[in-house]
Parts: sequence; structure tokens; C-alpha cells
Amino acid sequence: MKRIVNHPARDAQPSIWRSLRELENDPEFAKHLAAEFPRGADVYQDSGLSKRDFLKLMGASMALAGVGLTGCRRPESHLVPFTKGVEWTVPGKFLYYATSMPVRQGALPLIATTSDGRPTKLEGNPLHPVSSGGTDAFAQAAILDLYDPHRSRNMTENGKGSDLASFDAFLQSVSQSGGKGVGFLVEKANSPTRDRLRAELEKNFPGLVWAEYEPLGDSEAAAAADAAFGVGTKLIPKFERADVVLALDSDFLNPAESGIGYASGFSARRNPDQMGAPMNRLYVVENHFTVTGGMADHRLRCKTSEIGALARALGTLIAAKTGDGGLAAVVGAYPDQPAHFDEAWVKECAADLLANPGRTLVLTGPQTPAAVQVLAHAINSALGNLGATLIALQSAAPATATISDLAKAITAGTIQTLFILGGNPAYNAPAELGFAALLAKVPAVVRLGLFEDETSKLSRWHIPAAHFLESWGDARSFEGTLTAIQPMILPLWGGLSELDILSKLLGGGPVDGPELVRATFEKLAPQDLLAEVGTMDLLWNSFLRVGFLPETQFPPAAAQLAVATAAALAAKAPAIKDGLELVFLQSSSVDDGRYANNSWLLETPDFVTKVTWDNAVLVSPATAAALGIKANNFGKFEEIAEKIGNDVNYDLVADIVEISDGKTSIQAAAIVAPGHADDSLSLALGYGRKSVSALMENVGFDAYPLRSATIPRFTSGVTLKVTDKNYPLAQTQEHRSMEGRDLVREGTLDRYKEDPAFAQTMGMDGHIPPNISLYTHPALTSKEQWGMTVDLNTCTGCNACVVACQAENNVPVVGKDQVRKNRDMAWIRIDRYFAGEKEDPEMLAQAIMCQHCENAPCETVCPVNATVHSEDGLNLMAYNRCIGTRYCANNCPWKVRRFNYFDYNQRPIDQLYWGPLAKKGMADSLKMAKNPNVTVRMRGVMEKCTFCIQRIEEAKISRLVEAGPTPSSETPISTFKVACQQACPNDSIVFGDIADPESRVARLQKSERGYTMFKYVNASPRVTYLTRIKNPNPNMPGADRVGMANGAPHGSSHGGDKSHGSDKSHGTHEPAAPHAPAAPHQPTEAH
Amino acid sequence: MANFFPKWSNWIALKLVICLSVVGMGLVGGIWYYFTPKYTRVGYMPTQPAPFSHALHVEQLGMDCRYCHSFVEVASHSNVPSTQTCMACHTQIRATSPKLETVRQSWKTGEPVNWVRIHKAPDYTYFNHAVHVNRGVSCYSCHGAVNEMQVVWQDQPQSMSWCLDCHRAPENFLRPPAEIYNMKWKPAAGESQREMGMKFKEEWEVNPPVTCGGCHR
Repeated sequence: MKRIVNHPARDAQPSIWRSLRELENDPEFAKHLAAEFPRGADVYQDSGLSKRDFLKLMGASMALAGVGLTGCRRPESHLVPFTKGVEWTVPGKFLYYATSMPVRQGALPLIATTSDGRPTKLEGNPLHPVSSGGTDAFAQAAILDLYDPHRSRNMTENGKGSDLASFDAFLQSVSQSGGKGVGFLVEKANSPTRDRLRAELEKNFPGLVWAEYEPLGDSEAAAAADAAFGVGTKLIPKFERADVVLALDSDFLNPAESGIGYASGFSARRNPDQMGAPMNRLYVVENHFTVTGGMADHRLRCKTSEIGALARALGTLIAAKTGDGGLAAVVGAYPDQPAHFDEAWVKECAADLLANPGRTLVLTGPQTPAAVQVLAHAINSALGNLGATLIALQSAAPATATISDLAKAITAGTIQTLFILGGNPAYNAPAELGFAALLAKVPAVVRLGLFEDETSKLSRWHIPAAHFLESWGDARSFEGTLTAIQPMILPLWGGLSELDILSKLLGGGPVDGPELVRATFEKLAPQDLLAEVGTMDLLWNSFLRVGFLPETQFPPAAAQLAVATAAALAAKAPAIKDGLELVFLQSSSVDDGRYANNSWLLETPDFVTKVTWDNAVLVSPATAAALGIKANNFGKFEEIAEKIGNDVNYDLVADIVEISDGKTSIQAAAIVAPGHADDSLSLALGYGRKSVSALMENVGFDAYPLRSATIPRFTSGVTLKVTDKNYPLAQTQEHRSMEGRDLVREGTLDRYKEDPAFAQTMGMDGHIPPNISLYTHPALTSKEQWGMTVDLNTCTGCNACVVACQAENNVPVVGKDQVRKNRDMAWIRIDRYFAGEKEDPEMLAQAIMCQHCENAPCETVCPVNATVHSEDGLNLMAYNRCIGTRYCANNCPWKVRRFNYFDYNQRPIDQLYWGPLAKKGMADSLKMAKNPNVTVRMRGVMEKCTFCIQRIEEAKISRLVEAGPTPSSETPISTFKVACQQACPNDSIVFGDIADPESRVARLQKSERGYTMFKYVNASPRVTYLTRIKNPNPNMPGADRVGMANGAPHGSSHGGDKSHGSDKSHGTHEPAAPHAPAAPHQPTEAH
Repeated sequence: MANFFPKWSNWIALKLVICLSVVGMGLVGGIWYYFTPKYTRVGYMPTQPAPFSHALHVEQLGMDCRYCHSFVEVASHSNVPSTQTCMACHTQIRATSPKLETVRQSWKTGEPVNWVRIHKAPDYTYFNHAVHVNRGVSCYSCHGAVNEMQVVWQDQPQSMSWCLDCHRAPENFLRPPAEIYNMKWKPAAGESQREMGMKFKEEWEVNPPVTCGGCHR
């Protein structure tokens, strides 16, 4: 009797899908899925060298090598010790320093890993009060920015090379002139030292104009908070106290928008097993899918321009029920604007908010129009959230001018010398200011920047800036804690920091050390802390050691809604034009354009669209159909292939559309985005930079020309025209599809309470016979057995782990063309699934890395034993054995193995196809960015996630070193985290020893929410996923569709066979199967 | 009678002989080169920028290995001493010796001394000194009698099979912890290395990795 277990067949209409083409069952798509490795890696291009020529050349070079045998000799290499020992430095050991990254939300506290004086990795600082030890993708990629070989290296004056001495002379002439007509344009920094120097400078230079500009700043939020609660009020949400959260146009779960630590309380309350506190419920109203929208229990698609009207309707309902006069006044002041949204949704949402007084939160985004934000403040006040879930603090940031004020001053001719410190206004200033043209009116523009960019070209002086890892500084985190910025390395190319320039203008000499920061620190140090510690020196040392100064949070403020000013601001709601709107998004890869030269980030797929190397206009399926935008240009592959001169894989070819506001128009590629609001367009900022560096050339589309200063979030009343042009996009969403086999699982809280283990018998897993394996297990003899869990309930898909892995494991970048051929190298990827209708689906994210299967399918097919198992349960990859057959990747059900088709580390991405004799090598500065503990892989070898074996071995070795000549099992292994786990801001990834029943990972793996993928192939993976649990409001319209990605509970689809899954008839050889024979995913039993 | 063999077969024997002899010579040459210690560079003894003699410093002066290789017990890399370490003594002793000119120059200019590397593990191999010396493996086992070397040479092949010889049977090399840096230590008369090694191996739970991941990451 033979048992044949078939893969479950693909459903004709999949309930979970990754792309529209999958949903629509395109036959071309099915063909594409079948090919693990798409077309040809064996063609050299641009070198005129065929394979035959290559073999001839190789033969000749082998012969030559044979003559002298010189090629076999190792070259002489050197050991170069220090001349003088450096304090704390032990060659070959990492040193860790606390520092922080200045971001617009405040400071992002970090621990920098330095190796022989080079910073090589950044981690979150878990000691810092705002940080849970997590980071975001931008912080992880900062290392590459530091070592970027394209960074500017030379001071220039009028485009010609200059030097520090002449710049110093210039600064001296400015300060001696009494500072007449001096202006500053800076980025938001939250730096007390900068504020102090600015105040001193304002004393010396009366009439100084100090303007701050952040394209993605929170000036709207600040204006709303000032009007509602008084100038300088900062609101800090306490998610751990909130049962119901409503996000209006707010992506608060994305740390790149809200700041690290801002939403850390949210994931704690997302746990369905938590004692004492019920699982929270999240409502989201937004126009495009964000990571927050993906986490929502109920999500409402709504045009961004109509969210104000929605908030007004919500406020009206709440004001009527609570009788809150303040809210009624603010709502009454907000103009009645026509809008189309689901009123039943708003009604039920209001009812849920009202049912939980003082335990709710209504949040808005940083660029949401101030009038809408004021509405949210008033609603929070009426719901009794102030002081309960929303804490008000009094910040002390001095008032600054805006870029519009500065533009007025320049037009009036009062600015003679303009210092542009950071930023890039020539590229990203609001369109109506015409800032690039204004710069020509200023006699002397001094530009401090990391790159020679658009603004540098229009400036008299360009000064290379020091990276934050190269300079002293300080910053306040979003709740005020003073945080240190310490240099990890001397400026690689002699850059100056903002503080250096300000200090020079104040007549200070060159400042190499922390003097400026220390002077501020001494003023801010709390007296009781000083008394406790003893001396200022000791306090300063502890500040640098832990990276922050405790007790320096902003003082609490009395939060009382100022009805008059709030209503006045609400009355100034922007007028909305009819028709299409264009919403400006923060890019998940380049932020506002500042990371446009960072290839790690450019190649990281967008959270939702999974587009790499480009941005694109997002349109809803209905609007796309109405406007004539095609989801893909299938027929045009050949044509495009000719145009871009490369063989094009089955990947996205998008229509180019022209968007116009009547005066200005831009062209951009458009893609159809499931779950997008109708009559709305979204485009990420920061792309379409021109002539800055080779990497930035032809990357994406610039949205800034349509952006105004008055409503930074969107432009309403735009028109769209489809052109006949096309544009190839590199979209990874269809790469490595696992063909929808209940890989990602979810259910509702009610279902979970009824049957906590419901996910373990989903789909095929209810039918599998007992596991038997023909292969013998490798002996798993180690005391430690490594395993991992990923909690789908808290994983938002924010990409922090993806970039962290890239930084830790020297994962190369392959470029857009290679990504289009499915050759991206990321060891950990985020699979994004949609579930349900294409107009309004649910979204789920799932992080996939090597599962380290105990019965690993890759190991059995390797002809050279290059991938084998270790006794502690790791699936190892010995690069020096690999001969590149790629059998292992073909046999991997998870598709996590990556092949080096080219020497990605040794060749720039535009020269990959050059022949074997072409120049090879890596820029010196990029060599410094590599993790010295991880092999840099070469062409022709397979690679994949190693569970950070370098960290595992480090921990094991330190235990043995500590044990010395004693029994090693008596010394506990030191705790460590793997790179993805350490970066995760939501603590979704847990790694550890599953053999220790007390370990967190072992307990989580035994959780009833836990399931493993492809259980029926019996690979025994070491990674367990924890099912996503949704908490829908039963009264909400569409509540029956929430948490149903995997379909209705299993029993009902099988005619109410309740005992299903535990039924004894499964796994026996009895042919009498109780369920309908037509079920597509049941084991066939044949005699 | 027709010819059994076509004409080209006249030369086949000669061609075969030539071909086989070339292949044979290649084989001999290959084995000669690759299978001898020369390939693993046993005996590699480059000229160093300063004529430092381990024999003098260790044997005659009785210095411990760890005076100069100070981080061997804590780090993966066993460091070469900084110029400062040399000058700690040599500002007083033989302060004008011409042999020390390179070192004095380095001290004066701040430019490091470029010592020539002798032992080199490939880039994909991660060897850790600390774990070996703390768990009973002496310097001697891998580096030979450095204490007797006027000029240091490579004493052991340090190939992968050589590593595995010990990783599979560490009892042949384990020493009492106090004798790790004693380059002249031998098991006492009547004491068997193997028995003593077995004792240490069991007592300390020495279980060296033999899977790829132990050294290759």
C-alpha cells in the first residue's frame, strides 16, 4: 500500500494573494512561477566576449600560470600593529559605544559596534528610556551612508577646489561684518547645543533669520498642538493604556514616520494571551495601504483630502453623545465639506470609542492638515483621553522661521549670506517658492552637505559635511531625554559639522572634541543627579557611557483644550478641490530624498508595493480602470526588452502617466495598488534626482514640483493623463511565491478563544499522517538547539530586519536589472499578502528567512556536501565547497537560498556583465563597512540566512573561554540576539535555545498560536510562526470578513465535521476517508 | 586482404605514449608540488623588517609569550606587539643597536612596523586563539618550538585536515592549563599524553566542532 501526499492544488480564486496577476489567474504568471531561476546568467554582455572566447582565454591563462606556477603562490602580506596601544582596543574584538542618530522626531538612540576603529553595525540602545532596543531601516543603513564612496570630499568655492583656510577666512569676514543680512536654513535637529549656539549667534548678529525646513516635518502637527493646548505642547500617546486606537492618516506603527519607541506600547497590547488587559483594537482610515493599515482590525479607504470631513462627522457624533462643548465648538468651526465615506463605519467606530472612555486614542499623521489634527485633539479631549492615554509635555524648542519666511526675506533682498546646513532645498522646497531660482539672488550661499547635490551646484561654497558617526553632537529624543551623539571615527574626508560652522562664526577656534556639547550638558545636568554622582566629570562619563542623561524629559504640561484658538484653526481648514488628489508619501527607501544614494535602501522593497529602485504612482483598481491605466503591459515585453537592451524577465512594465495641477505637471510610472482609495493617487517623495551621482541617475520620479507649502500632505484637484510611454519596474512581490498554501495564517479573537490551536490544523495540516522520514536525522547532539519564532501579530513588515541583516551579513546589492531577474540577495524577506477582494483587501506581512529544517530538503540534493547540518540544528553553508549547481535552491520549499550570479561585491552594479578581464575590486571605503566576522561571498556560490552563526559562535567561544579548564556545561552561554531580532522595533522575532524549556523561544514555540509552514512536507523547520489574531468589532460593517484570510473555520467547510484534524482516521491506512473526495488538498491513498 | 587498420592508426601508439607521458608528468608534478609541505608553506621563513629573535627573548631572557602577544587569551587574533611594547625595554636596553633601527624609526614617526605575516588562515576560516589557549591547547602545538627560532618559520601545515586531526582527537594535544605557554613541556616520564588528554577531555567537556560552521561562517 502506497501513500501519495500531493501538494494542495492552487485554488481557482485564491483567498490570499500577493499580486493582482495571481488573483486573476494569469496563465503567463503560472509559467513564471514554475521557473525557480529565470533566464541566462551565462552571457557576458558589453565585452564582446563569448563563452568560447572566454574558455580560450582561460586556457591560455592556465597555461601561463602553469609555466611559472607563480599564480599558486600566496602573496606576501603584513601584520601591522599599532605604534602605540590604543585604550580599550583589542585587535579582533568589537567595541561598543552609545551614540544616537539625529532624526526629525528627535534622537534615535544607538549602540555602535566598532571593529578596529571602524563602525560596522548600529543597534538600538535598550537602556534609553524611549527605546526598546529597536531601530528602523534608515538607522541600519546609516553605516553605508558613512562609507559611501560618492560622498563629497572637497571644499569648493564657485565650483573650484578650495581649502579650509580660505573658508575660515570667509567665515571670519562674515562674523566681522556684524552679521548683516545673514540667514540660516537648517534641518530639524532637536539639539540643545545647536539651540544654545544659535541664541549666542542671534545676540552677535541682530536681524539673523533662522529658518528650519523639513519636507516631512511635523510643522502641521506642531501648529495644531500649539493651537489646541498652548505653544510648545508635545503630546505623547501611551499605547499601553489604550484599548481602542483610531489612526486618521497616521502610520504610527512605521518607526520611520513616528520615531523609534513611539508606538512600543502598541505591540505589548496586541498579545491575545496577555493577562489583565484585553487585546487592543485598531481602526485605520487612510488612502493607501501603510504598515499600520495592514495591522488594522478595521480599515476604511478614504481620500486623504476627505479625512477632515470624516473626522468632523466623527466629532459630531461624539460631541452629541458626550455633550462636550469644546468639541462641539471645534466641529462647528470646521467647514462642512462634501465627502464620500461609509457613514455606518464612522458611526460604529464612534460607538466603540464612546464605549471605552479614557481608554482610547485618536491619532493623526505629522503632515495631516493642522485643522484636521485640531479636530482629533478635540475628540481626544471629549473622550477623556487627555492625561489618560495622551500625556502632554512642555517642550522648549525656540521659535523658528519657515522656509516661506526665508523666501520672502530673500525676495526682499535682505539676505546677503545664506548658510544652508544640511537639507537640499533646491530639490525639495515647496514648489511655489521657486527656491532654486531664489538662491541666485543671494550673493553668498554656503552649503554644508554630505553630497554635492542640486543645492551645492547653486551655492558659492560647498562644504563636505561630517556624518553623525564622525562628529560630536547631542539631541533630545521625542520626549525630551538628552541623548549623546559621539563620533566613532574621525571624518573620513575632512567634513565639518553644523556645530563646527556655528562655533567658527562665533569666533571660536577649531573644536575637535566634545567641548561644545559638554558646555550644554553642564547647563542641563539635573542638580540632584549631580549631587548623587559627585562630580561633573563622573556624570559626563556616565552620559557618554549609557548615551543619555536621565531625568531630562520635558516637564509635564497641563493639557486643557483651548477651545477658542482650536476652533479658529479648525475654521481655517484648507479648501478641497473636486476630482483626483495626489498624496505625498514618505518613501520607505529614501525618506524625503536624503538616502537617495544608499543602495541598501534603494534595493529594499517598499513595505506594500514591493517596488525596488523606483517609486510609482499608486492607483486603486477601480480608478485605474476608469482612467485607462493598465496593471501591466503584457504585450510589450519584447519591445521594452529592445529598449532597455537586456533580456527582460516576466516583471512589471508600467504605464507612464502625466499628473498636472494646471500649472505644473510631472510624469511617473503608475501601478495598481489593491486597497487604495478611489479617486486618489499616492506618490512617494525623494526620487527622480538628476545628475548627482551615477546611482541616483534615472531612479524614480520627482513628486516635489506638485507640492505646496500650504498643504504639504496632498494636492487636490489634479488631472491625470495616461501617456503611451512605458516604464519597467522591479517589483519583488511575485518573486519566490510559495503558491498560497496557508503559509500565512490568521483568525479572530473569538475563534482563538474558542479553539486556541485552530491555526495548527488549517488547510493541509489537518490531514497529514504521522511524520515518517526516509532520511536519517543528523545527530542533534549539542546542548543548545537553535530556533526562532516570528509573531505575525506584531510583525508589521517595516523592513528594519531586512536592512539589519544586510548590514550584519555583508549581503550585496545587485541593482534594478538583476532584481527584475529575481536575483535580489536579501537573506530575510518580507512576504506581503493580500486577502479578500482586490478593492478592499486585508494585508499581512510575513518575514521569511532560512527555516533551518531538521530534514532539510536542500542538504539531500547537494552533490558536494556544501550544505550540511550542524549538531546544534543549523543548516550550514560552506561557501568554499559550493560549486554552484543551485540544486539546493530548487529544492527549497521556502525559496530562501540566494545565488551569486555575478561578483556583486567586486563589480559596480552597472559593470556586472563585463567580461572576466574587466577591472574588479571594491571601493576602499566600502571594504571598511563589511562585518569582519562574515565571509564576503564570491561569484558562483549559494548563500542564505545562517541564523547569524558568527554571533552564535562568538557566544559559544566566550563561554568556553570563560569556562577555561572547568566543565563547559557548568558555564551558562551569554545571551545574544541575532541581527533581525535585535533590529525589530516590535520584538516580533525571538531567537534562542529551544532545547532549554525555560527559554522564551521554547515557550513561544509551544504556544498554541504556533505553526510551521509546509508541515506536510515533513521538513521540520526550526522557525515557528505565531498566527495573527484580529480583534474585530462585531457591529462593524464587514466584520465577518476580518481575520478570514484562510477562509471560514475548517469544520464548516467539511460539512460540520467537528473532529477534523484530530480525527484518528487520518494517518491510518484505512481507505475510508470521511470527507468529500473532491477536496483538492487531501492525501490520496492508493494501493 | 583489406587493411584491418586505417592509416591513421599508424601513429596512434606514439600519440598515446606521448599523451600518457604528458599526463603522467603532470600528475607527478602536481603531487610533487601540492602534496609536499612546500605547498602548505611549512618552513616559510620570510625576512622580517627587524631581526627579532624569539630564541634570545624567550630562551635566554625567559620572557613569557603573553608579554608581547598580550591579547591571546581574550581575542580571536593573537596580536603582534605594538612598537610601544618593544620600546618599553629598548629605550634602556640596546637603545642604539643598529638592529633596532626600524623599531626606533617607527617610534619616532608613528608609522607602524610592517611585520611579514607567516601564518595565514584563509578569509573564510575563522580561527580563534582565545578558545584554544584557554582550553588546554599550547602555542607549541600549532607554532612549534618558537622559543628556539632565531627567525620564525611556519612549523605545521595548518591545512584543514591538520586542524581536523586535533579536532577529532584533542586528547593527543591537551595539556595541563599551567603548561600552555611552556614551550618545553613534555609529559612526565611514565605519563601517557593520551591518558592525560582523555582525562582533561572528559573533565572539561572538550568537544571541538567538526562541522563546517565551527570555523566557516
